Amino acid sequence: MYISYNWLQEFIKFPVKLKPNEIAEELTNHTVEVESFVNQAKQFNQVVVGRILEVAKHPNADRLRLLVVDIKSEKLNIVCGAPNVAVGQLVPVALVGAVLPNGLEIKESEIRGEKSSGMVCAEDELGLGNDHDGIMVLKETVKAGEPFAKYLKINDIVFEIDNKSLSNRPDLLSHYGIARELAAIFDLKLKPYNKVFSFKDKFLSNQDNKFDVKIENKDICLRYMGVKVDNIKVSESPSWLKERLIAVGQRPINNIVDLTNYVMLETGQPLHAFDADKVKKITVRLAKKNETIETIDGKERNLSPDDLLITDGAKGIAIAGVMGGKDSEIKNDSTSLILESANFKADSIRRTSQRLGLRTEASTRFEKALDPNLSEDAVLRFLSLLKKLCPEMKVVSSLIDIKNFADSTIELDLDLAWLNNKIGQAIPKESVINYLNKLGFKIISQENEILKVVVPSWRATKDISTREDLVEEILRLYGYDNINSVLPIQALNLPEVNLERVLERKIKNILALKNSLTEVYNYSFVGEEYLKKLNIDFFNHLRLANPLSGIQNLLRQSLVAGLVSNIKTNQAKKSDLGFFEFGSVFFNAPGDLNRGNDSDEKLPYQEKRLSIILAGARENLFSKLKGTVSGLFEELLSSDIKIEFSSLDVFPGWADSKIAAKILLFNKEIGIISMLNKNAVSELNLKLDVAIAEMNFTLLNKLINDFPTVRFKEMPKYPAVTRDVAFVVSEEILYNDLREEILNSNKILKSAILFDVYSGNKLERGEKCLAFHLEYRSDEKTLTAEEVDLVQSALVDQMAKKFEAKLRSF
Amino acid sequence: MKNKLQKLRDEFLHQLSLAKDSNSLRELELKYLSRKGELSNLLSGLKELGVEFRKEAGELANNVKVEMQKSFEEVKRTLDNYSGKDEFIDVTLPGDILNKGHLHPITLVQNELEDLFISLGFTIADGPELESDYYNFTALNVPPLHPARDMQDTFYVDSKNKDGQYDLLMRTQTSPVQIRAMQKYGAPLKTIIPGRCFRNEATDARHEHTFYQVEGLIIDKNINFANLKNLLEIVGKKLFGPNTKLRMRPKFFPFVEPGNNGEYTCFLCEGKGCRVCKQTGWLEIVGAGLVHPDVLRAGGVNPEVYSGLAFGFGLNRLAMLKYNINDVRLFNSGDIKFLEQF
Repeated sequence: MYISYNWLQEFIKFPVKLKPNEIAEELTNHTVEVESFVNQAKQFNQVVVGRILEVAKHPNADRLRLLVVDIKSEKLNIVCGAPNVAVGQLVPVALVGAVLPNGLEIKESEIRGEKSSGMVCAEDELGLGNDHDGIMVLKETVKAGEPFAKYLKINDIVFEIDNKSLSNRPDLLSHYGIARELAAIFDLKLKPYNKVFSFKDKFLSNQDNKFDVKIENKDICLRYMGVKVDNIKVSESPSWLKERLIAVGQRPINNIVDLTNYVMLETGQPLHAFDADKVKKITVRLAKKNETIETIDGKERNLSPDDLLITDGAKGIAIAGVMGGKDSEIKNDSTSLILESANFKADSIRRTSQRLGLRTEASTRFEKALDPNLSEDAVLRFLSLLKKLCPEMKVVSSLIDIKNFADSTIELDLDLAWLNNKIGQAIPKESVINYLNKLGFKIISQENEILKVVVPSWRATKDISTREDLVEEILRLYGYDNINSVLPIQALNLPEVNLERVLERKIKNILALKNSLTEVYNYSFVGEEYLKKLNIDFFNHLRLANPLSGIQNLLRQSLVAGLVSNIKTNQAKKSDLGFFEFGSVFFNAPGDLNRGNDSDEKLPYQEKRLSIILAGARENLFSKLKGTVSGLFEELLSSDIKIEFSSLDVFPGWADSKIAAKILLFNKEIGIISMLNKNAVSELNLKLDVAIAEMNFTLLNKLINDFPTVRFKEMPKYPAVTRDVAFVVSEEILYNDLREEILNSNKILKSAILFDVYSGNKLERGEKCLAFHLEYRSDEKTLTAEEVDLVQSALVDQMAKKFEAKLRSF
Repeated sequence: MKNKLQKLRDEFLHQLSLAKDSNSLRELELKYLSRKGELSNLLSGLKELGVEFRKEAGELANNVKVEMQKSFEEVKRTLDNYSGKDEFIDVTLPGDILNKGHLHPITLVQNELEDLFISLGFTIADGPELESDYYNFTALNVPPLHPARDMQDTFYVDSKNKDGQYDLLMRTQTSPVQIRAMQKYGAPLKTIIPGRCFRNEATDARHEHTFYQVEGLIIDKNINFANLKNLLEIVGKKLFGPNTKLRMRPKFFPFVEPGNNGEYTCFLCEGKGCRVCKQTGWLEIVGAGLVHPDVLRAGGVNPEVYSGLAFGFGLNRLAMLKYNINDVRLFNSGDIKFLEQF
């Protein structure tokens, strides 16, 4: 929103030495963010007045002319396409280097072979109107060479205010509202708004001259004021009016429309003028199903039964609070108008404006809950100015006013001791009262240092309703810089450690710093097409109701899809890749967390996952990933902890069913590990083989945090005897089973460590050989070779019986 | 025997002194010291001596053997070192290229903030990324039809509750965890909440639909605005250096009253104005305020007894400032050329 310095001066008098940058800064410090301020004259820095000395035909183009323009310091050659150029005219000339309000930068150029040093401008190019029929011809009030800004007599400064910081302050969407804030900030006198104008007309109170206004939906149309005026003459607005509008970024249209905009920008109250010849009566009702209206921008709008419509009893003439209709708009030949100054319920306007995708100056104001008391000021201000613009005008109806809102006021008790406690510093009582008064609050009583405060109507729509709201008002005017900071004094206590975060950080460090893997963050959303390629069933995935795109419309149930895409993104950059990710996954089933106070439904089940992906040459990839996973837990818990891998019955679609296993920690399944299946590799054009481990971190966290601290074990008293043994078995016999059998065979057999797996031409087809280091040790004595031989040969027999295992013979 | 031993020793030492390279050393070793060398030969003769001589000769033989071996090793070491001169080693060559792993830049910045707040006695709280409308909005004093609930801003999950309303959403802020933490732990409470948040907006270099926040909450008796201000000053000095100044401005957030933003002097230009701070000298970093009484009530905390302060940072923005990252989309790009830089 733009705010004009000159306009503000109608309500407050700035001290002479107060500079615009100070105004901007203090407004930002105390009220709303001022994004920038512009000196209007500087906008036309490189635009001067020139006199046309010669006009000649362009040798290569029928429609173009070659001009010689005198700008006093020199004579410029300019190519011009306007039909109305003539020798002797005074015209605005944009010099080389000028940047026009519409963004056009003027450069030295050649047009059809003729040099052009500048541009003679039309109105619209200068942001001064719609006219593009020809160049702007100036009156002889200035001389060639003088700044164009001098001709326009513009000397305004315009502040740009961040709209987002106004979302709770509808009262500030107006010059008067901003003036009120500035008066409070700089302790200036604010002219009461009803003193800004005076308008009295016997018709206003004449009850006999009504036109028919009917409100069907009183809960949405909170106030409707209307008045009919005859004898108006539609024309171009006077320059003071145009200047104001242009300064704040509005394009002048005609005097009537400009005036409705002017009053809105001044008071915050949107107004609409209908052509009274087209509108005999007014009925405000909800739109019917499939009802349409052509709005003033020439577009056909389809309405829904939620939309409030202003009608002439039959058809729509305006979408309430959003935009007027084309049929009934004020045209150049209109002679009579009906002015609407109404108030509509914020929610309703917001919904309609959103559904239609139509945000207007009016809807932005109404959707923030405007003060219904504003309507009256705005009508009277409009009529008083209209009288200036059209002295012949005649009010021909009474001032119709239908009120559907309660005139209730909000009263708050402000305990000054409580206030000082909240701020942490004593604010002098006189200052508190002064700040509140300046902002329009009334103190109606003071007892025992408790102020009874009445909230002004323009702040009472939803902005201020509690005493905490008053703390902000006082604090911001007192100034945050004037508060001495103090650290809270609190009892010392032992904060509970978030063990899950501690573990997460440990794991990240191990995987990144020890295993040289790179941490990635992937989106929580995945797309059907991608999951299809990975052969992941997405039927039961939660869906977004309003995704940004089809490639991100499902909530992930695994981190695999994201990690595989990371391989695809990077495979051209490196030939071996390793990533890991921590992230939440979401399931279409109720979890443990509640949804809110009065609902017994649960949130969908969510858990945190830890997934690791390796990509590279196929050889050893799976084994390397298993080592990474085992190593992680050894590092976290103890080197005695052995992660186990056991075969899987149910496979996720992406897994290679031949090379997939469960990951077991303390015999609990914590995840799976697998190669990505060949199909997915080729569907996604992956150039590398891929191995993936995915673990339930929520479960892992519980298992690991329940694990007791490592206990020191007494060193063995008697030496161990080690023997190597290699069993040849059928390839379907699992390592897990062999190992378990070995370890359970005799209590002096303490450990069995696999050191080699072989299958090849020295063996029969379908056979493999597993070689173990076996460690024998007794806790009671030193073992003799004979004792060990005896146990080992029993083991060999046992293995032969159970697994048809043979000893390696090569 | 004695003479033979001494002679052998002298002969060996003489030969050794003439040795010039590793080849001649190897020959000497073979001739004198190896298993079938002259020393072994001589020593094997010891057994033939009488018992009383054997002891004396044995001792001598051992001494001679040790002396010969020691001298040999010494010469060998010298020659080995000397031979270094033959092949030139370019010591300026780089070391082997080993694989390196990397933590995500958001993780790094988040860890830094967590450590700061842990040192101030804060706990770390977590909550679900898929939240209910109640926790994300209603409990935080964002009534129905508030602008923040726009479909344009929030990702809703396509599943309606018993009343036929979209009730599930991807949290737009970490603040719902404020309510969950109050309900779980009660007051007093001192916690920070790091986490992933979502906004339904088109992405470009400055906008991302998935982003990261850390927010903090203190609830106790007599928590006031002066406390909030001081805490934010400490955070600024920790993040951007000891000379960092704080400036607070009013800003509307439904869940705090009063509500503020906090700006710090730009760490690059120290407040003089530069490209990063858009010539203002200040960086808008934090949103903050005193917890709204309705929010305390929603968390089951009595606002007549307790008050609270809350503040929040965007981790993406902090990481972008810290590492001079110019495109917010890089964080979730999975591009190794980006990730490897941290």
